[in-house]
Amino acid sequence: MKLSDRVQDGIIILQPKGKIMGGPDASLLHTKLHECIENDQKKVIIDLGQVDWMNSTGLGILISSYTSLRNSGGELKLAQVTDKIQSLLIITKLVSVFDSFDSVEEAIKAFK
Amino acid sequence: MKKPVISGNTISIPSNQEFLADVDLFIEGVLRGYEIDESVIADIAISVSELVNNAICHGNKSEFEQSVKVCLKWINRKVEIYVSDHGNGFKFESIDSPIADENLMKEVGRGLFIVKSLMDSVDFKITPEGTTVVITKAIQ
Repeated sequence: MKLSDRVQDGIIILQPKGKIMGGPDASLLHTKLHECIENDQKKVIIDLGQVDWMNSTGLGILISSYTSLRNSGGELKLAQVTDKIQSLLIITKLVSVFDSFDSVEEAIKAFK
Repeated sequence: MKKPVISGNTISIPSNQEFLADVDLFIEGVLRGYEIDESVIADIAISVSELVNNAICHGNKSEFEQSVKVCLKWINRKVEIYVSDHGNGFKFESIDSPIADENLMKEVGRGLFIVKSLMDSVDFKITPEGTTVVITKAIQ
């Protein structure tokens, strides 16, 4: 997995690419998220449009991110959730936890 | 063993998560040789990654020298995959449901639930030498 990040309208947009399956790659997202919180950047969008698939490790990272941000007064939104990831969110009932948007732009609007 | 070893339709890795990507590359590569739908390949790859993660962390307790073996068989339009470790196994019934309200926000504990959801069957073979999980998926 590769991870890029950018800031738009004061919101951090994290864009993982590839597969989130555990191991050293997956910790990239976890570490970056906690860097955001430490830097007081607490409005975060994870753009999943370039993620082929993720397993339970990836879901665990999303939950950890959601919880960490919420506990620090921040908020997490998901954008461009692929069909494969959406099906996992439905299977695990996590679809009820996350705010998901079809595009990054829509997720940004939802913060305003 | 210090690095992945491939022999036919079998890959063996040391117990370290850094080799998960090697297993995925191997499994997806073999499956693509059978003209299987990409979505099904992803379901199988996700399931194998869950089982290999479990084998490394729980079965082999992340002891690097202990190997995890993944073997793929193709039988009558059905894929069978065997994931073996050197652990003592476990009781699937004893695992908490990850979709129960009290467990929904836990960061771990969904792996086998996802495997059971995506695959046609999941069986466990526990012997004195270790544990093998066998998953199957019919290919249309």
